[in-house]
Amino acid sequence: MSQRKERRGIHVDQSELHCNKGCGYYGNAAWQGLCSKCWREEYQRARQKQIQEDWALAEKLQREEEVAYASIQGAQSQPLSQPQAPPQASLAPFSKFEEKKTNEKTRKVTTVKKFFSPSSRTAPKKENQEGKTPSPSISRQSSIETDRVSRDFVDFLKTLHKPGREVHKQSRAFIEIMANKKDLSADELSECVQDFYQNLSDRLMTHFKGSSERVERVMDEVEKYIMTRLYKSVFCPETTDDEEKDLATQNRIRALHWVDIQMLCVPVDEEIPEVSDNVVKAITDVIEMDSKRVPRDKLACITRCSKHIFSAIKITKSEPASADDFLPTLIYIVLKANPPRLQSNIQYITRFCNPSRLMTGEDGYYFTNLCCAVAFIEKLDAQSLNLDPEDFERYMSGQTSPRRPEADGGWPQVDPPTGSAASSPALTQVYQNLDLLSGMGSRQDRVLEGVQSLQRDLITWQESVEREVQEILEKYPLEIRLPAPSAIDSDNVENDRLPPPLTPQVFAG
Amino acid sequence: MGKRTRMRESTGPRSPGPTTPTRDTRTIRAKMVLLGSSGVGKSSLALRFSKDEFKGTLPTVGCAYFTQVVCLSDVTFHFEIWDTAGQEKYHSVTPLYYRGAHAALVVYDISKRESFIRAQMWLRELEKHYIPASTVMVLVGNKGDLSELCQVTLQEGHSLAVDRGLLFMETSAKSGNQVSELMLAIDRPLEGSR
Repeated sequence: MSQRKERRGIHVDQSELHCNKGCGYYGNAAWQGLCSKCWREEYQRARQKQIQEDWALAEKLQREEEVAYASIQGAQSQPLSQPQAPPQASLAPFSKFEEKKTNEKTRKVTTVKKFFSPSSRTAPKKENQEGKTPSPSISRQSSIETDRVSRDFVDFLKTLHKPGREVHKQSRAFIEIMANKKDLSADELSECVQDFYQNLSDRLMTHFKGSSERVERVMDEVEKYIMTRLYKSVFCPETTDDEEKDLATQNRIRALHWVDIQMLCVPVDEEIPEVSDNVVKAITDVIEMDSKRVPRDKLACITRCSKHIFSAIKITKSEPASADDFLPTLIYIVLKANPPRLQSNIQYITRFCNPSRLMTGEDGYYFTNLCCAVAFIEKLDAQSLNLDPEDFERYMSGQTSPRRPEADGGWPQVDPPTGSAASSPALTQVYQNLDLLSGMGSRQDRVLEGVQSLQRDLITWQESVEREVQEILEKYPLEIRLPAPSAIDSDNVENDRLPPPLTPQVFAG
Repeated sequence: MGKRTRMRESTGPRSPGPTTPTRDTRTIRAKMVLLGSSGVGKSSLALRFSKDEFKGTLPTVGCAYFTQVVCLSDVTFHFEIWDTAGQEKYHSVTPLYYRGAHAALVVYDISKRESFIRAQMWLRELEKHYIPASTVMVLVGNKGDLSELCQVTLQEGHSLAVDRGLLFMETSAKSGNQVSELMLAIDRPLEGSR
């Protein structure tokens, strides 16, 4: 390490360029100042040592686990100072994991990239502790986000020193185990994750001597790390009917599009710009929930949405909102937003969030409200909207709409109603769009006409060309004259002047 | 939803609000749910509790979720108060609120007979989900300042509470009368139940 520090300076002495072993060849910074030959020797030794260490560590952990397991089954008493692996991280997968990690490392360090990357300069032992590289089965589906989360997680755990290392090891082992359990049902998966949370927080509790705030902070980070990794395999899994429920809820909310503020007794006046601003923000937040991966982030979206709702009510009523005001407004927001994959998200949060966050705490309160809102929307009937059951049926079937009972189900008139449209910006927008649509329709008609006339033109042109050709053909019929029999000399005018052809003469001998 | 969570609750060890021993005092986290018809003053009661007497702060812009720390001689309570929507149409979804609750306050308005009848409904509902011993349940007659309009006598409330084995208190959120006594009355059994 000290050698490296020296070379960080800008001034380089000639002697520093030589191999540190003094063999006379030039050294390279990427090889810790050694020449290629010395480095290879040195490196082989270090790697051998590291592999041995890894095995020793794995064996030690196994022993510890066995001890822990025995003591848990025995008297529930274990030494406080030594955090041990949770009993459910059974021995076989764990040792396999260690093995995989070692393989991964040896494979990785031989690549060229490794030699030139700056991180390779840190001592190999440190990397062993951190183990940033995910095992191959996980790295396949890792993205930029998961990488970033892993890095944050490692950075956070570094502040915890020894228990941090332990937590990291266990979290990784757990992810590895979960990767092999893909075919479990959602409830079993949830059970696994919750058991893991429970075990880990119990052990942290003994370690931090009962400081529940610190335990919670660590558990939040663990949840973030684990759930970012597992998200794809456990969100809306195929083994459940979450997707069907999503669709049912979505259709239900769509069918309820006509429900308005008055029917739900929502104490919010959207005419006030500030209020409608908050309503829009609340809608955005509840929709944004679907884009988050970590249950706690999803909860944070719900909480933000709720805060905006409270602001909207407070501005409208100029007094703080109570639960009597809040729940109807939340229902209204959910109906307006129709958040994507609502049921899946609720199920996912229920299954994989730290349970203490759900049943207590502010986030838990707002989440419960959202669950209530969804349950209410599912059960909603004429009575809960103070409507006549017949009207409710007609609205639900889409025959009529409460706001324009005179409309007969077809498209509204295209010509803009000058007076009423001004009241609602959405309505003016609709009319503008309808205008645009009708304009486009007429333009399309014109294009169609043009096409037809072009087609006609083309046909007539073709006909005229044909006619012309025919006329010309008739006017100048093709005459095939037989060529006159010709002799080679026939054209020659001055034939006469030519000397007579030579005639053979016979010489009598 | 929520079936699994509730089952887990009843098995015990996973339920939130752990009692955490510290050097001198214990810290108890308690979740308290306010139930009762719309307009009986649940929010005002909670507001009075968290603002008054105990030097509370308002954590949110709304009056639906409050936290309050109460320090007694040997125990520190971290109260978490969940207000619920009292309108009748939301009655069917309310059970979601009180899973995991350590205390439930059923509030009625002494000047409205109907709210007292609704309160009995809430109690029946609560008993479906809870064994009375595990959760502290309190019947609260609010708006004690409106005694001249009284439609539900103190005696009626008291006998209902005795009948069902509940704590009983008549308060006034407006004047602050008996509110702190109410909270102290809740604290004791909560402390004992851990």
